[in-house]
Amino acid sequence: MNESTSEFYNVYEVFSKKTDKSPFQHSFSLLAPNADMALIMAKENFFRRETVADIWVVKRENIRGLNQDEREMLKRLDKQYRETKGYGYLKKKWRDYNQEQFTEQHILGGRGDNS
Amino acid sequence: MTQETLKPQEKKALIELLYQLADDDFLLAFRGSEWLGLAPHIEEDVAFSSISQDMMGHANLYYNLLEDLGEGEADRIAHLRSPDQFRNAIILEEVNGPGTYLKEPDYDWAFTVVRNYFYAVHKHIRLDSLRHSSYEPLAEAARKIMTEQYYHLMHWEIWFKQLMTSTDEAILRMTVAIQKVWRDFGGVLTLGPYYEDIVKANFIDDENVMKKRWNNKIEAVLKEVGASYPGEPRMERGNGRNGVHTEDLKQATATLSEVYATNPATGW
Repeated sequence: MNESTSEFYNVYEVFSKKTDKSPFQHSFSLLAPNADMALIMAKENFFRRETVADIWVVKRENIRGLNQDEREMLKRLDKQYRETKGYGYLKKKWRDYNQEQFTEQHILGGRGDNS
Repeated sequence: MTQETLKPQEKKALIELLYQLADDDFLLAFRGSEWLGLAPHIEEDVAFSSISQDMMGHANLYYNLLEDLGEGEADRIAHLRSPDQFRNAIILEEVNGPGTYLKEPDYDWAFTVVRNYFYAVHKHIRLDSLRHSSYEPLAEAARKIMTEQYYHLMHWEIWFKQLMTSTDEAILRMTVAIQKVWRDFGGVLTLGPYYEDIVKANFIDDENVMKKRWNNKIEAVLKEVGASYPGEPRMERGNGRNGVHTEDLKQATATLSEVYATNPATGW
C-alpha cells in the first residue's frame, strides 16, 4: 500500500450482536475511508451468511487501548480471599448432611421428611 | 389471481412483465460478476460480488415463475434464448468498459456506480408496487426480493453520494457517467408494448406513476449533492422491451451460456 492510500483508508473495528438481547462482541476489522463506507462493507463482508441483529463500526485510532508498559497495571498477586470460590465446599457439605439425615430417619422407620 | 384464473391475454402480459424483471436483474448481475477481482478495494470486491449473486438469485426467482407458466425450464430460459428474445433494458447489458474481465479490463467504476444506483432506486420502486401485485406468486417473490434490496440500495446510494461530493476528478467522472446512463435509462422505466394489459390486470402500477417516483427521487438526490437534474432520461438506442438490443447482449449471453450450451441435458 503506498503512502496516499494509507492516508485515505482507515482501519475500522467491527462489533456485532447476534440477537437484540445478546451483547456486542468484537468481530473483525476492515479498511474503509469513512464510517458510512465501513458500515456497508462490514455488512456484506462479515454477515452475508450469518444472522446479525446490529453492527457498530469504530475507527481503531479512536479506541484508547493499553500499550505494553501499561499492561503492567493488570498484573496482581494471588488474592483468593477476595473470591467467593473459597465457599465451593459448601455444596458438598450440604449434600453429605442431607444424606446423613435421610439414612438416620430411614433406619428409625420414618419417611425422612418428619411428616 | 393465480395461474388457474389468468385469462389468456393477461397471461401473455404477465409473461412479458416477468421477462423484463428477470432479464433486467440477470444482465446487470452478470455485468456485476465481471468486476470480480477488479473492484476498487478488497472489501468492495466482496460486497459487490455478493450483491451480484443476490441479483442472480432474484432473476432465478422470476425465471421459476416463468417455468410455472409453461415457458420451459428456468435454466433453459436463462441460457438458450436468442438475444431478440431478451426483454431487459439496453443500458443494463452495456459492457463495464473497454477490455474484458480476462484481458486488459479498463472498467469504469463511475459508470458502474451510477448505473447500479439508478437501477436500485427503480428496482425498489418497482418491488414496492409488485408487493401488491394481483398475481399472488409475483407479489410473494417481490416481498422476498425486497428484504435483500434494502441493502443493495443503501450500498449504491452511499457510493453515489460520496463520489458526487468527493474530489474534482471523481465529480467529473461521475458527471460523465450520469450523462452516459441518462441517454438510455428511459428503457428501464418503461413496461414495453404490453404496457396497457400489464397495468389493466393490476400486475404492477402504471409506468408513468413509477417514472414520476423515480424522477422525483433522483432529482432530490442530485440536488442534495449539488448536481443539476438533466430532465427525463431518454431511450436513444431503442427499447429492449421490444427485443431491440446491442452487440453487448450477444457477448453477455454467449459468455453466460458457454458452459451450459455445451450440453443442456447435463445437470450443472
